[in-house]
Amino acid sequence: MIIVKNLKRYYGTGETAVKALRGVSFEINKGEFVAIMGASGSGKTTLLRILALLDDATDGEYTIRGLKVSSLPEAERSYYRLTQVGYVFQDYALINEMSAAENVYILSMMEGKSRKESYETALEALDKVGLKEKHNRIPDELSGGEKQRVAIARAIAKKPDILFADEPCANLDTRNSKQVLDVFKELNEKYGQTIIMVTHEPWHTEYVDRVITLEDGSLVSDVQKRR
Amino acid sequence: MINDIRVGALIAYCSVKRGNKKTLMFIVFVLSLIFMNLVFLPSMIGGMTVLFTGMMQDYPYGDVVIEPTGDNTYINNADNVLQKVRAVEGVRAATKRLDVGASIEHKQKVVGVTVTGLLPTEEYEISRYPYIITEGDFLGELSRDEIIIGAAIAGTSPVFGEIYDNLGEVRAGSLVDVTYSNGVKRTYKVKGIMEGTFELVDLNALVHYKEIEEVYGLEESKATSVVVRVDKQGTEEQIQDKIREAGVNEQVFTWADKSESLIRQAMQSLGAIDVMSKFVSLIVGAALVLIIIYINVLNRKKEIGILKAVGITPGSIVLSYAFLSMFYVSLGIFAGLVLYFALMLYFQANPVVFYETMEIRPQIDPVLLIQSIVTMLTLSVIAGTLPAWSVSKESILKAIWSR
Ligand SMILES: Nc1ncnc2c1ncn2[C@@H]1O[C@H](COP(=O)(O)OP(=O)(O)OP(=O)(O)O)[C@@H](O)[C@H]1O
Ligand SMILES: [Mg+2]
Repeated sequence: MIIVKNLKRYYGTGETAVKALRGVSFEINKGEFVAIMGASGSGKTTLLRILALLDDATDGEYTIRGLKVSSLPEAERSYYRLTQVGYVFQDYALINEMSAAENVYILSMMEGKSRKESYETALEALDKVGLKEKHNRIPDELSGGEKQRVAIARAIAKKPDILFADEPCANLDTRNSKQVLDVFKELNEKYGQTIIMVTHEPWHTEYVDRVITLEDGSLVSDVQKRR
Repeated sequence: MINDIRVGALIAYCSVKRGNKKTLMFIVFVLSLIFMNLVFLPSMIGGMTVLFTGMMQDYPYGDVVIEPTGDNTYINNADNVLQKVRAVEGVRAATKRLDVGASIEHKQKVVGVTVTGLLPTEEYEISRYPYIITEGDFLGELSRDEIIIGAAIAGTSPVFGEIYDNLGEVRAGSLVDVTYSNGVKRTYKVKGIMEGTFELVDLNALVHYKEIEEVYGLEESKATSVVVRVDKQGTEEQIQDKIREAGVNEQVFTWADKSESLIRQAMQSLGAIDVMSKFVSLIVGAALVLIIIYINVLNRKKEIGILKAVGITPGSIVLSYAFLSMFYVSLGIFAGLVLYFALMLYFQANPVVFYETMEIRPQIDPVLLIQSIVTMLTLSVIAGTLPAWSVSKESILKAIWSR
């Protein structure tokens, strides 16, 4: 489903360029639950952004379902992001002027669902991350972990084909982390969603099928787990 | 497209509902000032125009004025014309006048003037001449050897002061010598001094109609103009047609026709100021609206990036800013209108005084108001969408994670 060949991403040019990705290659199949690990600054976020079409690679090839991403026009990328991809941002990236529910249901509205239906979908997703009661709060009125869970709810509400999650449990305690990971697992098993999750915590890998490890912009290990 | 509108409206709604209220108030305040700037000066100029045209009606032209055709100096048989005119429905009053050139002399000082011969008793219904005598009395039916002179030539005008040549403190009761354009010389006693704070009045002199007839040896009721007042303002053009239909073969003008050339001259400079001020206000207004909305958009660059990142179409984002700025501008216009009408009320009660006695009351021009509102709204859409559009074209990474 996802094929990456010799993917490179440099920030800046010339001598001072930061080589965040130095040529990464792998394939991810539909329905896989993949963890991306690595030290801070190893290029995990950079990779995830490129995979989710939020950023462009400097060099290399990226095809998704046989489609060359670099040749996709912006309108199509936008549509793809809306309909196929869920993305949990490391820094939440919530709209400050929207309540938790609004942050989630704006996407269903964009997809053309009715207001009521959108609202129900949003509440359902917030319920999954344990935030149903706080659906009327704006991000400023939520804790870091709660914001993170709203970001997760936004990403999973539309049941995307591919869910990208950038350290979705960074600000959660063990109990909440487990709840979120269980939700991911359920989505993965029940709906066959492909999930690519960046994480630091070794115990998270218990939930996944495969662990890709980056080091300084290069892929250093790719371990298939047997379950 | 429908989805774009729905989502755009949702974004705009949320950002108004939860956005900073102080910022909103400030933006609305500035926009209201911009609106005021668009409509206030034109209203004042409108007030001046009304004042000026009012003068035209009250003194030289009435509502409708009949003048001799072609090269003729006089209307022949003005009484016949008057008879026809007075029979026209909607005519309140009419009178004839004789305007001639002359010079007035008093204690070796000489001033050129227009002397108007009129029928004093009829003028009460026609003009304001009888009501602006500041010293002495207006002419009577039997006035001969008597003259009314304008304050500017008398030298008593507090308004025009020394701007024009004058006779130097002529008072009611003084004797003046008038030499008419045909050389005839008469001595008159000044019966009164009139003050209209208007050059066409205060540089003028009035005598009885019969005086001019006699001096120029005119017969059969000649006149240089027949001045008509109508029952209802605004019916001038209908009356003008009716008078023509009644068989008056002289030239018939409405005061507007008449003042047009005069006003065009007098107002040309004013009009130019008006146009320039509107133009400048518009440019300044457009720039301000643009800047305000642009700053607003820049402040939300990150949000725009996020919205794009999660798949909200650029169309919805741009629309949301169009809605937002339309909302700001509507509030601004509303506040501006409140401010404007408050000021209008104030100036109606306390008119701006020019030349000490000319009271200028600003005029509310609905067409101008509508024009300004439409202009502001159009501007707001452009000002709102352009910056949003340009930001929405930026890469997501840049919009969200850099400044
Ligand atoms: N916009 C940018 N401009 C320049 N350098 C950048 C930019 N974004 C990231 N980098 C650099 O690229 C490298 C990889 O960054 P990335 O965010 O992908 O790391 P990460 O693995 O997600 O780290 P963390 O675990 O701390 O989130 C880092 O050295 C970082 O400093
Ligand atoms: Mg990261």
